[in-house]
Amino acid sequence: MLLSVVRRDPRWLLLALNALPVTAAGLLLPTALASAVDMALAGRLDGGTVLWLVGLAGVEVLGDAIGVVLAASITARGAAWLRRRLTEHLLALGHPARFEAGDAVSRLTGDSGIAGGVAVLVVDLGISALTAAGAVTALALLDWRLAVVFLLSVPLAALLVRSHLRLTAADVATYQEVSGELSARLVDAVGGLRTIAASGRADQEAERVLRPLPRLSAAGVGMWHTQARMIWRAGLLLPAVELAVLTAAGFGVVAGRLSVGDVLATLGYVALGMGVVGQATLLTALQRARASAERLEEVLSTPVPPTGFPGYAASGEVELSGVSVPGALHDVDLTVPAGAFVAVVGRSGSGKSALAAVIGGLARPSAGRVRRGGSVGYAFERPALVGTTVADAVRYGTSLDHDDVVAACRAAQVHDVVVRLPEGYRTPMSAAPMSGGEAQRLGLARAFVRDPAVLVLDDATASLDMVTESTVERAVESALPGRTRVVVTHRAATARRADFVVWLDDGRVRAVGPHADLWDDDEYRAVFG
Amino acid sequence: MAYLRALREQRRGIVVLLGWSVLEGVPALLSGRLVGLAVDRGFAAGRPWVGVGWLLVLAAVAVLGGFGLRQVFMRLGAVIEPLRDALVREVVRGVLHAGSHTRQPDASAVARITRHVEVVRDATAGVLVQARALLVTTAAALVGLAATVSSLAWLVILPVIAALVLFGLLLPSLARGQRRLVMADEQAASVAGTAFLGVRDVVAVGGSGHALRDVMAQVDRQASATVRMAFATALRGVVIALGGFAPLVLLLLSAPGMVRAGTLTTGEVLGAVVYLSTSVQPALRGLADTTSTVVLRLVVALRRLAEAAPPIAPVGGDAVPDGYEVGLRGVTFGWSASAEPVVRSLDLVLPEGSHLAVVGPSGIGKSTLAGLVTGLVEPQAGVVCFGGVPVRSVVPEVRHERIALVPQETYLFTGTVRENLALFAPSASDAALLEAVAAVGASDLVARLGGLAGTVGHAGGGLSGGEAQLLAAARVYASAADVVILDEATSSLDPAAEAVVEQAFAARGGTLIVIAHRLSSALRADLVLLMDGGPPLLGSHTDLLATSALYRDLMAAWQPTPIAR
Repeated sequence: MLLSVVRRDPRWLLLALNALPVTAAGLLLPTALASAVDMALAGRLDGGTVLWLVGLAGVEVLGDAIGVVLAASITARGAAWLRRRLTEHLLALGHPARFEAGDAVSRLTGDSGIAGGVAVLVVDLGISALTAAGAVTALALLDWRLAVVFLLSVPLAALLVRSHLRLTAADVATYQEVSGELSARLVDAVGGLRTIAASGRADQEAERVLRPLPRLSAAGVGMWHTQARMIWRAGLLLPAVELAVLTAAGFGVVAGRLSVGDVLATLGYVALGMGVVGQATLLTALQRARASAERLEEVLSTPVPPTGFPGYAASGEVELSGVSVPGALHDVDLTVPAGAFVAVVGRSGSGKSALAAVIGGLARPSAGRVRRGGSVGYAFERPALVGTTVADAVRYGTSLDHDDVVAACRAAQVHDVVVRLPEGYRTPMSAAPMSGGEAQRLGLARAFVRDPAVLVLDDATASLDMVTESTVERAVESALPGRTRVVVTHRAATARRADFVVWLDDGRVRAVGPHADLWDDDEYRAVFG
Repeated sequence: MAYLRALREQRRGIVVLLGWSVLEGVPALLSGRLVGLAVDRGFAAGRPWVGVGWLLVLAAVAVLGGFGLRQVFMRLGAVIEPLRDALVREVVRGVLHAGSHTRQPDASAVARITRHVEVVRDATAGVLVQARALLVTTAAALVGLAATVSSLAWLVILPVIAALVLFGLLLPSLARGQRRLVMADEQAASVAGTAFLGVRDVVAVGGSGHALRDVMAQVDRQASATVRMAFATALRGVVIALGGFAPLVLLLLSAPGMVRAGTLTTGEVLGAVVYLSTSVQPALRGLADTTSTVVLRLVVALRRLAEAAPPIAPVGGDAVPDGYEVGLRGVTFGWSASAEPVVRSLDLVLPEGSHLAVVGPSGIGKSTLAGLVTGLVEPQAGVVCFGGVPVRSVVPEVRHERIALVPQETYLFTGTVRENLALFAPSASDAALLEAVAAVGASDLVARLGGLAGTVGHAGGGLSGGEAQLLAAARVYASAADVVILDEATSSLDPAAEAVVEQAFAARGGTLIVIAHRLSSALRADLVLLMDGGPPLLGSHTDLLATSALYRDLMAAWQPTPIAR
């Protein structure tokens, strides 16, 4: 997975090519500075020496700038590519979602971004190693003793940095727990916002939400104190190493092995070498990139169910033979003639929605055959209205024009609601205050606008009052005459209007017939509560 | 602004913290000088132990600086945590006060807001630790530098200051870029979240292509925002690097002459270069790399917080109502000037003790009527009166106490049953609360919860929608309100339980307005308001049956008809 990201965009080579002269310039700068200082101390002004210094600095500065842009662009392109693959695959996996939506979003925004930056990370890691090796070599070239002293102090450095990573678990856990408690309280209060607004109790309720705040503060202070103890040790690291190497360099000056400028060069290389310690985070980052890649792989390796379902039948007809869905339907046979109005009833958990789902092509039966003639318009009890604006949500997945959308909304008795929204049909979905019943009617409009041969309404009018429901029914009969309708319902009135009723019980067809005929059965009447 | 106000409140802590940071700056102030001395008096003079001595002084100074940093961190909690408290307070208050607006934040918005607060906390700490340390280091090193090579002071200091000023000028555009990036991230997460959450519907309507297109449009915006941000970052890096490097070159160009003239010693040149290369340059680079990122995160998070919790504008005046008659005259209201009005030219007078039912299809504006009567919503035209004075100019405490709204979505919080029931009547006796509970038919429920001392969890944990609505009804029953509005407040109850609640309120005295979920509510009311998008109709149930064909249709469709056997 990570390899494919690296291979896809070969610009990491450019990044590495750009980084090489930058690294070289960085490694040469301390010696260039040393000879420039020695030149100055000798009272000479040598244009070549100064130009060399300026040139090296220029290469470093420019190269860094190019590197920043290049790295961002490589990461952005890699992440975008991963995001496209992920989105395509998640959508192809379809319903029921194998990955929870919040989790999927975190894989899309978080993991893809991290895994997309892997090429840059690898280049950075290589350059870091190169810089460290270069710095130690340069120290050895100045005086082998310097390199020895430096290398001896590195294990100490590693030890101190490791201890920095330990944080007091108790305070962190408390902090997170209290934050969660605060959020939960705020969510409670937000749920009752109308009550709070109408009773003018915003201030008092804010205090109630904020009751755990002192505990949060205490945990936070504890975290800072722990950090203070750690920072203090870590902060002494660089000076300690610097002093050790400086002392060695001082003796080198006394012995005549080193010039005064070389002392400066020594300081420079120590800083470069120590810089690598800070780059230890790159290894952690690489680890994270691998973990992220695994999380992406987990999605991408989930097999996509085959398409081409349901099978074909004469226009408007629906035919099920021996259909089973594990845990929901058992060996269901059903034939719905074109243009029929069928009500599907049964206690909750009897398999009504599963029946709607196999007819609508949303669920694939584990056994049996489903055939359906023509397109389907599918509406739900709780529709998820995806789309940017109200009009977009209705015409989602089609390229129908505004008039079609308005006609569908009229049939679903929701046009009057939409025109009262702040920007009418152009109101963004995120800014459209909507009740359950209103959302349901938009969901109906979304099913109607497709002009389907078969309508599958899975309890899609449950939140509507009966007047609105019957108005919708009449409107559908005039707007979409003669369409086959499979309607899951809890209402006796709806079942009464249907041509015939399919009564489901524990995943099996208990009976099929007109409502009036079934009504004599006590158990049938009990279905309607 | 809340953040700055909170910062000001912590100024004592900040001053103490800055005091300790002076100590932290000592190594930067003395490092070049001490290295210079070690070389001048020690190593270059052939007395290595003197040099080692000066280096040990440097070590002592470094320990001192480390101690300063430790003290800064110890004090950080005392500044940051109260600041975070103040922000959380402000945000919670802002969110809860925004209840009268039409938009309500959902759970994910709440989570996002909480994250912004944490960013502000971390970033403020970052500014106080890093930015402050880097500025202190730079300043101390510049002072040390100026003292070491006083004749060249301005030559080396001016480029640094110029770079810092330029960097400051770049900050606003960097902040804009960062903000674009954050918005693009949030937008991408939100669009993808909607699509993934609604994947059933996306698949059912064959909209996978549509969803992919929508998500990729956001992803591409995100990518281009990242690259644009990188250009700004690169520019910032160049400015800072030049500012750090230019003094070095200027120093090396002017030093030879001065060394020849004997006005500059070896140790001084060395010390100056040490200041520039080990203190000033790294500090400047740190300022550019980490600090500006931190500052940008801070600025962006603060702005997002301000948007999430807009300043509070209180509604109210000092008018005192006489009685509790409710009157609406020519009231018109729409969600925007261009949108079709939800309520148009409505006239309605409800004398004290009225019992009104509002019926009509859902979404036609019945809830808006509740907002108008409670004074939460301001009419575009006309006036809503309470006790003879405009409701929005009534003393807020009086208005809230005397008009109570029970909305469809209940408000229960974690705490005891008593706390939840006594929300509007804190001083009510247990007997009064239990009487209210019994009146609305919630006695069994409260007994099951363990009586008044029983507890309610988050989001009314463990209670069904109907049970939560019963508690909300009992709460308002126990209050002193003269006007009670039930806005589909019994929607999750079965018809029998709904009748018990409505009859209880009717017998309680005062004015009752029922925004009906079921038409049976109309049969129980003295007066019925029919809203169906056209001009509203008002009358008793029998009047309306006689005069309105629409009302007759409604009733006929609703009333159970005999089933053919």
